[in-house]
Amino acid sequence: MAHQADEKRMLDDRGYTGTLIRGANPLLLFEKPVRDRIVESMYWKEQCFGLNAATLCDRAVELENIGGIYGAAQKPSKFLCLAFKLLQLTPERDIVLHYLRQQEWKYLRALAAFYIRLCWQPKEIFETLEPFLADYRKLKRRAREGFALTYVDQFVDDLLTKDRVCATSLWKLPPRTQLEDLDVLEPRISPLGEELEDIDADRQDGRTEDDSGSDVEVLDDGHGLGNGHDHDNDTDVDGD
Amino acid sequence: MPPKRMTANRDRSHRYFPGKVEYAQDALSSDSENSDAEVSSAHQPAKPSLPKATSFPKDARLAANLSKINLDARRAQAAAQEAERLKREAEARAKEEEGFVTDDDNDEDDGSRREQESGSEEEEQEESTSSEDDVPKRRMPAPKFISKTNRKQHSVPVFNEEELAAQEDARRKERADEMLQLQLEKQAAAKAAGKKDWDDDEEGLADEVDDTDDVDPEEERALWKKRELLRIKRDRDAIESAEKEREEIERRRNLSKEEREAEDREYIDTQKEEHEGKGKMGHMQKYFHRGAYTFDADDETKQLLNRDIMGSRFQDDARDKSMLPSALQIRDMTKIGKKGRTRYRDMKSEDTGRWGDLGVRDRRKDGDHRLDERFLSDGDAERPGGTGANAYAVGERRKRVDDSRDGRRDDKRPKYGR
Repeated sequence: MAHQADEKRMLDDRGYTGTLIRGANPLLLFEKPVRDRIVESMYWKEQCFGLNAATLCDRAVELENIGGIYGAAQKPSKFLCLAFKLLQLTPERDIVLHYLRQQEWKYLRALAAFYIRLCWQPKEIFETLEPFLADYRKLKRRAREGFALTYVDQFVDDLLTKDRVCATSLWKLPPRTQLEDLDVLEPRISPLGEELEDIDADRQDGRTEDDSGSDVEVLDDGHGLGNGHDHDNDTDVDGD
Repeated sequence: MPPKRMTANRDRSHRYFPGKVEYAQDALSSDSENSDAEVSSAHQPAKPSLPKATSFPKDARLAANLSKINLDARRAQAAAQEAERLKREAEARAKEEEGFVTDDDNDEDDGSRREQESGSEEEEQEESTSSEDDVPKRRMPAPKFISKTNRKQHSVPVFNEEELAAQEDARRKERADEMLQLQLEKQAAAKAAGKKDWDDDEEGLADEVDDTDDVDPEEERALWKKRELLRIKRDRDAIESAEKEREEIERRRNLSKEEREAEDREYIDTQKEEHEGKGKMGHMQKYFHRGAYTFDADDETKQLLNRDIMGSRFQDDARDKSMLPSALQIRDMTKIGKKGRTRYRDMKSEDTGRWGDLGVRDRRKDGDHRLDERFLSDGDAERPGGTGANAYAVGERRKRVDDSRDGRRDDKRPKYGR
């Protein structure tokens, strides 16, 4: 695609000949006010002009937070601008998967996850994104006022369940149960897998038990983990 | 502006105007030396005479010193210096031009001529600078040929004022360039350090939230486990509730009809109780409606939305408004005392109809209190012809003038008689 100085043409529906996402210009996946803010922002104009899939990586590794629109003037975050650029480029499947699966840069991974959620089919979305519910690295999210701490798995979970993430109304995803009923997907196997079964077994039996190799404290009262004093046991190898 | 003599008529005699400065015609004459000689001689009479009164400060000491100044001494000194310099140059030239095939005579003549010229120029310059201090006349020295070897010998080049100015400009430009360079370097360094223009507001706040990983791996892993378990729990709850719904539907289908109705009635009753438990609207209580806009809310918001508004009372609210005087029996108590309030109380009190009050029909037979027929009810005065306007027959028509004469009137307009 030619990189023209005035990129307004890409927002014009009439002559669009590129890839269609959900039957329309992929840039229309973002709402009009958000699109306007992005295109008028300094970051977009200076840094996002003329990027291709490779140079976008250079920008993406400089990312420091995710987020949508912030501030009184509704300034778009850099994450959002780069996501918009990805939509404009519509890179190939392999490239996006590479962005997602690389281990080193978590914000690039978040960016790829966002793109996948916007553009791909439900089955592929679930299959591709669910493994990353095990990635517990921290992310900084820029909210409307100030910053918040979130995690990669939390972000992916939001993408899969919520309606609006990062100032974008996500395309409605059929719930997983529905896809399971249609036999499109199989029921999800959590990364906690075996430990979960053990917990269930313990609950049913009504006993508390520590399994070898597991550092999970059995929940009797329904509270979650994360109490300070429980961690002392975690360093034991046996766990007995 | 070029001197007027360049374009003016040269042959015209020059008239004397007091105070007017005459320009000498330099460049146009063919023999420069003659013109110089002329000019130097003509310069003196053309010079304007000194004014009678001087605006020079009347400091006596200064004036006295002025008179003491002897310019001749300076002139003699300058002339001596010039002569020396010329002699040196002539010698140098003679030395290295020995091999040259040039016209030595011409050179010497030129040299002498130049000497004369420069001497006279010096004089002129001295005069001009002494007499006209604010506008010193500058004469360009005539260009001399210096051969290559001589050129190198000039260790201290003598520059003109203009060349000096040019040098100054060049130096100033250099300094400006250096400053610009420094600024650019500073900007580049700032950019490299990570300070970007469009992120001014981010730096301070962003430090509060720390997204470095592996600060405490165990804790992070534990937190992740907690989140994962919550997610699993949520999924399972969703599955269970869907299951329950399906079961319920199945069960209801299997019940008989009466049982279903019994269940429905129970449900409605419980609903009623809930509504009653919420505050009822008292007599003349202001109706606060929540608003029709609802959206998918979380639990807190749902609680807020379902709160009991009508049951709430504020401090001065009277429960039973019938105890109040009629002027205060208003639905919205905030409007008391204000001009624009509506006097409307409730429909019943404002209604003027008579509902179900049919006692008036019994009084039809009572002739003593017979009302005027206009105020009787319709059932009362039923005449055979009709009621109201139809009660009387139409009377005789008034006689019209044109009825008597048949078609013999001229004007068309019907005239009605008195």
